[in-house]
Amino acid sequence: MVTVADIVLDKVSKRFPDGTVAVRDVDLEIADGEFVILVGPSGCGKSTTLNMIAGLEDISSGELRIGGERVNDKAPRDRDIAMVFQSYALYPNMSVRENMAFPLKLQKLDRETINQKVEEAAKVLELTPLLDRKPANLSGGQRQRVAMGRAIVRQPKAFLMDEPLSNLDAKLRVQMRTVVSRLQKQLGTTTVYVTHDQTEAMTLGDRVVIMRGGEVQQVGPPQELYDHPRNLFVAGFIGSPSMNFLHAAVQDGTLRTALGDVPVGDRIRRELESADAPRELILGIRPEHFEDAELVDEETRRRGMEFEAPVEIVESMGSDKYVYFTVEGERASAAELEELAADAGADFTGGGANLVTRLSAESPVTEGGTRRVWFNLEKIHLFDPTNGRNLTLHEGRAAGALAD
Amino acid sequence: MATETTTRAKLRWGLLDAVVVVFALIPVLWIASLSFKTPATLTDGRFIPREWTLDNYRTIFDTDQFVRALVNSIGIALIATAVAVVLGAMAAYAIARLDFPGKRLLVGVSLLIAMFPQVSLVSPLFEIERQLHLFDTWPGLILPYITFALPLAIYTLSAFFKQIPWDLEKAAKMDGATQGQAFRRVIAPLAAPGLFTTAILVFIFCWNDFLFAITLTSTERARTVPVALSFFTGESQFEDPTGAICAAAVVITIPIILFVLFFQRRIVSGLTSGAVKG
Repeated sequence: MVTVADIVLDKVSKRFPDGTVAVRDVDLEIADGEFVILVGPSGCGKSTTLNMIAGLEDISSGELRIGGERVNDKAPRDRDIAMVFQSYALYPNMSVRENMAFPLKLQKLDRETINQKVEEAAKVLELTPLLDRKPANLSGGQRQRVAMGRAIVRQPKAFLMDEPLSNLDAKLRVQMRTVVSRLQKQLGTTTVYVTHDQTEAMTLGDRVVIMRGGEVQQVGPPQELYDHPRNLFVAGFIGSPSMNFLHAAVQDGTLRTALGDVPVGDRIRRELESADAPRELILGIRPEHFEDAELVDEETRRRGMEFEAPVEIVESMGSDKYVYFTVEGERASAAELEELAADAGADFTGGGANLVTRLSAESPVTEGGTRRVWFNLEKIHLFDPTNGRNLTLHEGRAAGALAD
Repeated sequence: MATETTTRAKLRWGLLDAVVVVFALIPVLWIASLSFKTPATLTDGRFIPREWTLDNYRTIFDTDQFVRALVNSIGIALIATAVAVVLGAMAAYAIARLDFPGKRLLVGVSLLIAMFPQVSLVSPLFEIERQLHLFDTWPGLILPYITFALPLAIYTLSAFFKQIPWDLEKAAKMDGATQGQAFRRVIAPLAAPGLFTTAILVFIFCWNDFLFAITLTSTERARTVPVALSFFTGESQFEDPTGAICAAAVVITIPIILFVLFFQRRIVSGLTSGAVKG
């Protein structure tokens, strides 16, 4: 039973009757057997996109193809895809066995085949001793596994998962993450997985699709999104703790920032010299691209620059230290950043900018004093605050501020 | 200290409950007691009959009048209940699940119907039914009962449907069910307690109605028990029918009690627990 189950979204849009556009012109090709994550803040259209693939929402315009066949107008039951819901949606009046057998019964398989398939799936998910229980008598993790079992039992063309782990507690979530990952590899079934958790997105998927306001921001393998974000939103969304953003004013070929004057390479300078170039930029740098200046060797030192700032908080993680600095100067502002802050439930604190750095565990940094810190200029991103574009990105690769 | 107050609180509540129960039950028990009394002891003012007799019961079942009315009552109430629950379930499902234009208006109008004073409708209904030859027929009572029971049914049922997580229906569809299969195999079993509760309420409403029954019937063709009771007379002008009326009242209470007791076990809350998290 080898079915090619690639999923293609061709300019798919969703407009609601009241005129709001939930999803706008999404183009996406999901290869057979691929594990793709849709991620974004709430209201970005990721769940609507998933529901359109499932057939639970109508597609307003564009085309959806599964296995090369247009399925826009097909009912969910004719698409041969299974879905795991955030709420698990187990049938409370049926036992675990009946829950898992339900899709097979609807296919009118004979009792023996159904039993065999249910037992098999139960074994994979370690549900065998629970088969005769009702969902009400299961723990959250067990319910989640039953929901997965109901999806895998009929060997569909594709799995759709709508935040399947978000109702579990943190420890179980990490554990189930590996279960999901292993299961998907074992079965090799095309999977589309929706989450708002960027850690899940980074760890699970072959490819990640970042959405914002109904539009796809960037598609790529997790590491590529992390290293080469196309815009401010992607840069801010991916990574924990998230990237630091600082206001940078363009002056005489350098960037005036709270960390000092940052030199720029020829390519960036050329770009900044054009007539419509922005006078102000946002400088982005990830916490791990800082280091205690004492611990940096000469060779590395040349690739970056140093600054001194008062230490606010030190969080020792054992393997390294998260050090928070307060730096003077204007804070970076852009629509994307505000949206991200709102999604995280945090408001930007006024006054100076906050800087999160990840330093080596050997750093003798202490709270209250000031510390000299080095940062890597090759890892800097520069963003245009008006449209969020990453100026340091050249042919899809981020090259830092110094690139020629 | 704490336990003392709780025992005292319990005692107080228990006492209060007892007062309420006694207050509600005394008239019922009084009627039951009267129904077992002989005509001679009817007015002796004793709560427990001195002489027990089943004559009153024999009398009412001997008269064709009462048995006929009982059949009418059962038939009319059951049919009206069935229709109201089925229609109400469909309407309630739509109200709970769909967002259609005019939804609020529909709910408002159905509330209006429930609020409308029925007495004011009796005379026009009488005229209408006479013109349509519905007067003194089963449909002549079933139709107004459905009209006034529907808002009640829609209200209680939509509350029940709203409690059922919509994800269940979506899951059933993803599992390969048609809309009909999803409703029948997943939603309906979960809505069962709501359906039974509604059925009981509607049945009681139809069973107890006196106003419509007395104005829209004139013979035994469609006369229901509450009305028939009021027409009870003794065999002679001087015979007191009190005992027979009480016996009939006890008899017509029994179906309601059975109905509630029978379905009570199915009205268990928390049937949907375990469907979704929390």
